[in-house]
Amino acid sequence: MVNISPKYKGSFLRPLKALSHLFREPVTLPMEPRPAAENYRGFHLNEWAECIGCGTCQEICDNAAIRMVNVPGLPSDPAKGIKPRRPAIDYGRCCWCALCVDICPTGSLALSREYIHVSRDMDTYFILPDEKGMHGLGFEKGWAKNPDSDLLDLDRQPMEELPVESRGDNFDEIVKGFDDQTALIEASRCIQCGMCHEACPANMHAPEYIRAIWDGDKERAVREIYRTNPFPQVCGRVCTHRCETACSIGRRGDPVAIRWLKRYAMDSVEADRIRDIAGEGRVTEPTGRSVAVVGSGPAGLTAAFDLAKRGHAVTVYESKPQAGGMMRYGIPEYRLPYDRLDADIAVIEAMGVEIRCGQAIGSDVSMAELREKNDAVLVATGLGQARSTRVPGTDHPNVASAIVLLDKVTRGEEIDLPGPVVVIGGGNVAFDIARSLARLQKRRDGAVAVTLVALEERDAMLADEEEVIEAQEEGIAVFNGRGPRQVVIEDGAVRGLETVKCLSIFDAEGRFHPMYDEQDVVLHEGAMVVEAIGQAADTGYLGDELTEALEWQRGRIQIAADGRTSVDGLWAAGDLVQGPDVISAIAAGHRVADSIHAQLGAMARA
Amino acid sequence: MRPQNYRPVAHPPSHEYELYFGPNHPGIEGNYAIRVRLKGDVIQEAIADGGYLHRGFEKIMESRLWIQNVALVPRICVPDPVPMEDSYARSVEALGGLEVPERAQWIRVLMLEVSRICAHLFTFGGNAATIGLYTNMFWGVSMRDLFLDIFEEITGARIYHMYITPGGVRRDLPPGILDKLSAVIDELERRAPEFDDLFFDSTVVMNRAAGCGTMTQEQALSWGVTGPNLRACGLPFDLRRDDPYLVYPELDFDIPTETAGDALARMRVRKAEVQQSIRILRQVIARLPSVKGPIRCPLPNPLAWNVPAGEAYARAESSKGELGFFVVSNGGDKPWRVHVRGPSQMHAVQVLENLLTGARIEDIAQIMFSLDACPPEVDR
Amino acid sequence: MGNTGEGHSSAHERLAQMKSLDEVLDTAMSFEKTAQAFYADLAGKVRKPLRGLVTELAEEEARHFALFEGVRNHADTQAHLQDLIEIPATDHKFSDFVQAPSLGEAPDDQAILQYALGREQAAYEQYSALAEAAPTGPLQNLFRFLADEELRHKGELEKSYYEIVHSGGV
Repeated sequence: MVNISPKYKGSFLRPLKALSHLFREPVTLPMEPRPAAENYRGFHLNEWAECIGCGTCQEICDNAAIRMVNVPGLPSDPAKGIKPRRPAIDYGRCCWCALCVDICPTGSLALSREYIHVSRDMDTYFILPDEKGMHGLGFEKGWAKNPDSDLLDLDRQPMEELPVESRGDNFDEIVKGFDDQTALIEASRCIQCGMCHEACPANMHAPEYIRAIWDGDKERAVREIYRTNPFPQVCGRVCTHRCETACSIGRRGDPVAIRWLKRYAMDSVEADRIRDIAGEGRVTEPTGRSVAVVGSGPAGLTAAFDLAKRGHAVTVYESKPQAGGMMRYGIPEYRLPYDRLDADIAVIEAMGVEIRCGQAIGSDVSMAELREKNDAVLVATGLGQARSTRVPGTDHPNVASAIVLLDKVTRGEEIDLPGPVVVIGGGNVAFDIARSLARLQKRRDGAVAVTLVALEERDAMLADEEEVIEAQEEGIAVFNGRGPRQVVIEDGAVRGLETVKCLSIFDAEGRFHPMYDEQDVVLHEGAMVVEAIGQAADTGYLGDELTEALEWQRGRIQIAADGRTSVDGLWAAGDLVQGPDVISAIAAGHRVADSIHAQLGAMARA
Repeated sequence: MRPQNYRPVAHPPSHEYELYFGPNHPGIEGNYAIRVRLKGDVIQEAIADGGYLHRGFEKIMESRLWIQNVALVPRICVPDPVPMEDSYARSVEALGGLEVPERAQWIRVLMLEVSRICAHLFTFGGNAATIGLYTNMFWGVSMRDLFLDIFEEITGARIYHMYITPGGVRRDLPPGILDKLSAVIDELERRAPEFDDLFFDSTVVMNRAAGCGTMTQEQALSWGVTGPNLRACGLPFDLRRDDPYLVYPELDFDIPTETAGDALARMRVRKAEVQQSIRILRQVIARLPSVKGPIRCPLPNPLAWNVPAGEAYARAESSKGELGFFVVSNGGDKPWRVHVRGPSQMHAVQVLENLLTGARIEDIAQIMFSLDACPPEVDR
Repeated sequence: MGNTGEGHSSAHERLAQMKSLDEVLDTAMSFEKTAQAFYADLAGKVRKPLRGLVTELAEEEARHFALFEGVRNHADTQAHLQDLIEIPATDHKFSDFVQAPSLGEAPDDQAILQYALGREQAAYEQYSALAEAAPTGPLQNLFRFLADEELRHKGELEKSYYEIVHSGGV
């Protein structure tokens, strides 16, 4: 016993005061559930209609409490970035940190204010949360998406572009490309959910190359890119980037600039290194098999690249003076500089592909000869013929088609511009020709006089959004929701295009069924009308015999899923048989190359 | 070769016996054991025997993303989790060069001080229970519950808040919370005299606690003692003043000390600290409404967040003493190495062993509790 | 939609005139018959890529013809064959299509589709107008059904037109 200072000495009686508590209200509440706080972190809620099954919650979960489960019957739409799976939570592992809520790209996940679950059945602790809550009791959201705690960066890094005043009269590339720092930040926005991979027709490994860029390993990025795409310089510029449409970050913010990141990787690695990386894994021992490819567009050259890489001798026949197809003769240089296309083609040639330009099949070489001299023939000639609306007046000499004019622009041929131009069409081709002609006008006259008339309303334009915006910046007048009625001709000269108001393009079932208000007529004045409504395939080069031998489907060569036609040894790919864009053509090129390769392998064994 | 801490099992002489104290003894905070050699009621030697709570926090942190560790760190110390969150966040902020917005700093101080009060209330109750005064424990815990309600409203969770994140905090305060906090503080002040009646002015406590587990200031310093245990030996050392962090320099508070260095002195320091925390909270409540702005700086996508290479140590004055996180990054998306300096590491091992030697068996629990040793801090 | 472009014309002057059901069915059947014969003839002329399309059109018309035959021979119809029906203004345009058109020796897919769309439109308008004019009952139901049939077919053709000619709008 220690002596205690008298100051400290207490009393025996004072603790007895505690007896007064017997007559007080208890501090603790009765044994019934107490309402949880407003942002309580209880059991999960998940709005199934909002959830896209991206699995980011599973990635961030620090306890591996979340597992994505495939749910039969749920909508699946890879093109829109929707997977038929939903997060299942293991409450034996969950720690209610709510990082899943804070990172959820859609905002579908939340924690509820429900917190009581008692059961001896262990299975009941493993649940697939929906919007009704763990016991369907309708508890409201507790900790939910909130801008303060959102863990995603919803804003895209800005892209430097040529200002309108310095691009209006030339064909210089508009988009400058990312520098190292912006590319790194943009790459860091990716959550690696893989929606882009599934949305891409060629299933490019976008998450992998974005991660490689973020790691600062640009060569690894190029390697990942070349796994599925021999036209990365092209696609890094003009791809329709379905990846970005499907990007999960785009649900609430700007999608990751996947296309520009691909371009960044390609722009920042030396051409020699790119060629070496693309050639990794090439079979150097010739197989002794030969393949002829007709057409040097994206489908034909992709197939050629794949087949040459596997050791086959590939010869590509191109009727135009240079290779590239629509990528060269359709897309203007301000979107895709020719030297970038040349860079991609140089890599393909380095793989051993022989490209013979100026060789028209049917006149210079016959199909029969090709088929005789090669083990396989691939036709990938695209859609080279212009379509016309055939409204009255379209047979006038000053009514031209977009693809014919674009071809002339590429070749550097003089285009006769009699005066103001009216373009019919609302797709990218329409904008390509409108903007090209505007540049030529500006260069010659110092002013732009181009009008573009599209059937679609402004918010349903088929062209890329930036095309519409940039075209308007460049002084092109865009009219939406108008259908062509006739080209007005006076004294043998085109006076303009008469249009009527288009009330609707599609019927309730989504079928093309334009309805017009015939009273609402407008004359768009112009001395020249350019049609850009669509293209057709010219298959005359096949010859009568082959044309009759082939099976056709609504005017297009009928192919199996792997690109095989009904005629032995003949494959078809690209726009010729399926649309609609470069990346789809590349995907088709891969498919058909796989099929041809399998066939050649079978021949070798036989 | 033998490990450094190898001690051969000595066969005690016939008049001595060995006792395994714990790990499930109700009088201590569970999951911690002490092996004691006794002669009669008097302890001849005590060997701290931890490890029952070892969950490998430091190692697990190396395999988790920077943000994921936010969910892990509060678990190191149940009764006082906020300093864990804050120290970890500040060490990452030091590495990554993140600026914590001012409002977030004030909110963090609010959280830290409420957590300190909760921890001390818990300890009063526990300490009283070790000498048979269970009523006090119920009162302490029920009072603490009112503060947990405040935590629940702010963070959505009562115990493991996972609220402080590198760069700030995860949510702004809900409307009206400062008034509610004020009311709870007033209630605590109103009830403080009852705690005095039952505990601090009780003869039982005087007789049991005074002179029990005494250490001198020199001993304390050489054993690595920090926090209230050190201040109970007469040294006014407090990181909030001596190595200030957040907005503590803008706040008025005293550093209470005692000189006796025994169990009673330690409890009296804690009691005075609760009053200082109340004083701090009143200043925070007055100031917070005028501090506007964001509550977190922008963070990179947590799945692609590389923290620059380097090492950083951030420490806080927790209810137990100096709590610090030493974090090493090699520039990757996860810590390369984390070391947690839990103050209880010292208090529950060398200090406890020394203080128990020569003490009586009935004081084991009291001595351990008066040191406010938190076993999970030992077993990080 | 005529064979002059992608336009519709909807203004019609209403010229009322009466015909018996017998006559109406006669015209309708020769309308379908001519078309079938026309497409069948065309199928022999066009190159193979378009042959499938033209053959499909011919088959569709043959189905319509068979449908009319069935209707005409049905006992319910037999009883009403001499009923008089007010013939709507669309009759004139409709009758034009009873004549086989001249699309030239080698029409392309666009020309064929535009002609076919024009036919379906005229038939739809004719049957709708007949349904309006006919008294409520089986006769009205018959024309309503025929109008729907033509509309559905036209919808299919418009879809094909958009896919083939506009190549998906590229």
